[in-house]
Amino acid sequence: MSQIQVIPRISLTWLLVAQVLVILPHLSHLPLWVIGLWLGCAAWRVQIFRMRANYPSTLLKLGLMIATGCGVFLSRGSLIGLDAGVVLLVGAFILKLLEMRTRRDALVLIFLGFFVVVTAYLFDDSITAALYSVLPVTALLAGLIGLQQSSLASRPWDTAKLAAGLMLQALPIMLLLFVFFPRIGPLWSLPMPGGNAVTGLSDSMTPGDIADLSRSGALAFRASFDGEVPPRTELYWRALTLDRFDGRRWSQSSALNYSPSPDWQKAGDPVSYSIVMQPSSQPWLFALDVAETSLPQTRQLSDFRLQRSKPVERSLLYQVTSWPQALREPHGSSTGLRRALQLPANVDPRSRQWARELRQQYPQDEQLVNALLKHFNQQPFVYTLRPPQMSRDSVDDFLFDSRRGFCAHYAGAMTFVLRAAGIPSRVVAGYQGGEYNPNGNYVQVRQFDAHAWVEYWQPDRGWVSVDPTFQVAPERIESGLEQALAGEESFMEGSPFSPLRFRKLAWLNQIRLAWDNLNYSWQRWVLGYQGAQQLELLQRWFGRVEARELIISLVGGGALFLAFIALWLFKPWIRNGAPEQRLFSQFERLLRRHGIYRKAGEVPGHFARRAAIALPRQAPEIIQFYRSFEAQYYAGESIDPKLLRSQLRQLRRALPLRLSRLDRQQ
Amino acid sequence: MRRKLEACLEAVNQVLLGKEPQVRLALACLLARGHLLIEDLPGMGKTTLSHALAKVLGLSFQRVQFTSDLLPGDILGTSVFDKDSGQFTFHPGPIFAELVLADEINRATPKSQSALLEAMEEGQVTIEGATRPLPDPFFVIATQNPVSQGGTFALPESQLDRFLMRLSLGYPARGAEKALLLGDSRRALLPQISAVLDHSELAAIQAEVPKVRVSDALVEYVLRLVEATRTQPQFAWGLSPRASLALLAASRAWAYLAGRDYVIPEDVQAVLPSVVGHRLRERADPSGHGGSTLVQGLLREVTPL
Amino acid sequence: MIAAVQARWNRWLTRRLPASSRVRLTQRRIFIVPSKVGVMFLLALTLMLLAAINYQNSLAYALTFLLGSVFIVAILHTYRNLSGLVLRAAGANTVFVGEHVRYQVTLESLNHAHQAISLGFADEPPLIVDVPPQASTPAELSLLTTQRGWLKAPRMRVESGFPLGLLKAWSWVDLDQQALVYPQPIAADLPPVMASVGDEDEQGLRVSADGADDFQGLRSYQAGDSRKRLHWKAYSRGMGLLVKDFASLGGSQTCLDIAALSGDQEYRLSVLCYWVLQYTERHQPFSLRLDDKQIAADTGDVHCQACLRALALTGLSQ
Repeated sequence: MSQIQVIPRISLTWLLVAQVLVILPHLSHLPLWVIGLWLGCAAWRVQIFRMRANYPSTLLKLGLMIATGCGVFLSRGSLIGLDAGVVLLVGAFILKLLEMRTRRDALVLIFLGFFVVVTAYLFDDSITAALYSVLPVTALLAGLIGLQQSSLASRPWDTAKLAAGLMLQALPIMLLLFVFFPRIGPLWSLPMPGGNAVTGLSDSMTPGDIADLSRSGALAFRASFDGEVPPRTELYWRALTLDRFDGRRWSQSSALNYSPSPDWQKAGDPVSYSIVMQPSSQPWLFALDVAETSLPQTRQLSDFRLQRSKPVERSLLYQVTSWPQALREPHGSSTGLRRALQLPANVDPRSRQWARELRQQYPQDEQLVNALLKHFNQQPFVYTLRPPQMSRDSVDDFLFDSRRGFCAHYAGAMTFVLRAAGIPSRVVAGYQGGEYNPNGNYVQVRQFDAHAWVEYWQPDRGWVSVDPTFQVAPERIESGLEQALAGEESFMEGSPFSPLRFRKLAWLNQIRLAWDNLNYSWQRWVLGYQGAQQLELLQRWFGRVEARELIISLVGGGALFLAFIALWLFKPWIRNGAPEQRLFSQFERLLRRHGIYRKAGEVPGHFARRAAIALPRQAPEIIQFYRSFEAQYYAGESIDPKLLRSQLRQLRRALPLRLSRLDRQQ
Repeated sequence: MRRKLEACLEAVNQVLLGKEPQVRLALACLLARGHLLIEDLPGMGKTTLSHALAKVLGLSFQRVQFTSDLLPGDILGTSVFDKDSGQFTFHPGPIFAELVLADEINRATPKSQSALLEAMEEGQVTIEGATRPLPDPFFVIATQNPVSQGGTFALPESQLDRFLMRLSLGYPARGAEKALLLGDSRRALLPQISAVLDHSELAAIQAEVPKVRVSDALVEYVLRLVEATRTQPQFAWGLSPRASLALLAASRAWAYLAGRDYVIPEDVQAVLPSVVGHRLRERADPSGHGGSTLVQGLLREVTPL
Repeated sequence: MIAAVQARWNRWLTRRLPASSRVRLTQRRIFIVPSKVGVMFLLALTLMLLAAINYQNSLAYALTFLLGSVFIVAILHTYRNLSGLVLRAAGANTVFVGEHVRYQVTLESLNHAHQAISLGFADEPPLIVDVPPQASTPAELSLLTTQRGWLKAPRMRVESGFPLGLLKAWSWVDLDQQALVYPQPIAADLPPVMASVGDEDEQGLRVSADGADDFQGLRSYQAGDSRKRLHWKAYSRGMGLLVKDFASLGGSQTCLDIAALSGDQEYRLSVLCYWVLQYTERHQPFSLRLDDKQIAADTGDVHCQACLRALALTGLSQ
């Protein structure tokens, strides 16, 4: 049996290749020492393969295992949890290859490899990652095939080709399973990969934070509208509100989470759309005002934002319906309004003074707001991502000295002044605008679309949104940040080679948009293909969804595909031989039905004569057919299958369907 | 022409009772311009068959009894000094007959055997530097005792290959033997046989035989047979291309004798045992005589279609 | 109980897979189930599916389904790897008791290739062969012999897990092969020379070409000649392979008679077997007399084979 246990060369080759392919996508989040361990073990394994080194001793193996465990504990702080688990898994995968000796070891290695590929999906599930993973899976399958091949097989490529062929043939059934296999919610909660910092809005804001975001071209979310896409200037995507100001920083008050849902009245036409958002590690969702969603475990907080019970760690698809003209909290809540008037003591005296002056000048709240906006519009305010340093009284500095800043400055300053004037108001953080992608009819919103604006409360009118930035730099709202900063070159300073910087090159832009569209479809239809999406699709196809139909479709479809593959593999229609030969087989089959078999090695002539003797009544037809057959097949007469066929037909007609025994013996 | 061939067979069968298939094969062998090896115990009518064949075909006949002291010169001929002319004159040996019966060829030494076989192969003999052509037609019937009999030199495989066919006459059927016992001495009948064919007719027939049509399908069958001997492990070695050519030639002659101008698988099967039986050996027993069982296996397992 | 089940199983197999010297593996003859590795694979897939469900990860779902589908497709491939394969009996060698019989089997492909076919009797380690497309591959299965007579080859297991090893397709094939097993030679003193009973006259000194006593001369080598008699010196001189020819003077011949021996039947046969081999090696003629058979005096391989065969089969019903 020992000979069977040895791992064939081809298998070993492919397993070595597979190891590289499997580990590559993990490189970004593996600690450095694991990579060192990997390179060392791989080099050792290759030396064993070349008979220049021995297998590690049991003691050494044990040592390596313990060392790996300790290493994981040191670098990840624990041995459980997803991050540590993945490192452990990769470590086991690396060590297993080193000690791999028998086929059983190889099988364990291959199964471990599949698991490592699965864990890679938890970190990166983009379309490229998915396509890439075909490579390690093929290599692992090739390794598995190689284990079965006898030592005679010597061409690794053939093995890989076979593996790829198997996968290709499995593809239709896999798609069927993917579409029809019922999706259920998580059975128990599992740790998610974390630690990789996500750029995006946070729950507190200094002006500089948004300036940082504006350097990033990373995607925040995409939105597909069921109908017309609303004009850009109306696309104010609310994320959260910031209602606490400590003199420098706007943040959200913790009380918000416990407040009851606000009351609001639907008005005007609703807008329906779906959003696929990128992982943000934050619990809030993005939506236009005022939004309702069917997403489970999500509720509307008192500041009208949507918030999930858990942070968004993976791409998330949700459906939203918004009523832009809804009346929000026309009666207000006393605690909420009190929070919307909070100001820190002893800062920005000039601004407070100015607010008092404005209040005296404009007793009406709306007049005051308009005057304030006019002030921003008419005074020499500059929209820039490079504002000067501010002193302790940041609002004073901005309003009266520098007058240079961007949305966060304008929103912060305006809220400050409104509060100082006794009007309840707060800063809304979110995104504004987005890029319309005509390929897929959706809007994509990136980090540099981050924006801050203001909403203030009026009795009976409720909360009203207002955007001071629009007064200063209307192009920011109408066409986007890049236009607003056209002269400044501070747009996306951090990433000089991002394709977003080359939007002016039409063809490049076209490719970029198409690629983005592909990614979006991938997210919506593949990554987002979970319970709700599946239900919706199946309902669209079948009208209603019942287990019976699902099973029938799954089994029936699978059987159909299998039948196709079987046909393709076995090719039953391919018969060997010339047409005459096939006709002779028909002749044989015809006679076989009447108990006359051609013996092994019997020549056609002898068989025909025997048949003629056994079936004397049909002898003329039998002999006639044989004569023509001989003439065409051996005597070199022109081949005429038609003649043979017609003679065969005559014989068939002459033969009764079933021959009585009497007939045969005559 | 074919009627004459039938008459030939008829005449030979008169002399050699109950051996129609063998006589027919022998004639086919001759028509295919091949040589014949008859392997049998003494007294089974080998000599009678050869003699009768020579008679009906109008061929000159010589018989050489091979013994262990036979020298090559005894077969090929020698130059003898003629006192009258003062020169060497060549006395042709028995090989210069048109039909030579080499009786009990395995009794002679290998040297004498090869002298005959080389002459058969080349159609000419070289004696003392002079090359002399053999007559046309030239047909050798060699007989051989089964090897298990003591005191013989069995022909090596390479030499066996030079015979187109190997036949075994076997014991006559009971009825035929009774007729043999009751009737005249068969040898006595021999002088009564008259030639049916003359030289030109025989030459014409021999020229006709290669024109017998062999279809593609039939060649495929022959190829399958040959391939089977080369690939199946029970064969010690496969058939040579010479053997496949021989098989085709013999099948043509057989078809011609049957009055057809094309070959059908029946013809191949009819000549196969005689043509390949002596060229095959079982792997398990390369010195033995597994040939005939192997041929039966071939006939059974290689499909004619 | 087990024996009864076994017997029923054997009967069923015989009905379903009758013995034949040429067997083509078809749908009726091939069985297929997941192998141990396959079950492990399915367990691993279940784990992956659990991970996919808990992480709600579509790609993990996709990979799980892909591997599951590969498993399903592999059923067809594994079946196909065996289907259409033709097995043909190709004889067996004859051996003495205690040696291994080698049954020759030819595996033939009629169309596609058959890879990694394992072939073996139930208890013996299997042999692994590849059969290229439209070609044939010889294989040799050995079996230890324990008693003389005809040894029928047991059913052989033809199995393949190719391509993935997750499933195994197999068939039990009976190629109706048998091998002749001679008795085990047991060394014993050669019997005293006895006058053979026969009509051979006393002085009839026959010169037998195959003897061992008197050097007669050299002759050219022919297939089947003993290697021991090759005249190597002549060969080294470039004179080709020559054989030293001996003749023996046959005198009174030895008769090996089973009745002259004592002991149990098998032992006596073994001794006779040894003697037959000894005399053949010495090129001495001998005759053999068994309870139910008598073989006249002769010498040479053919005679030896005939005697051994008689020894192997005596007292056994065919």
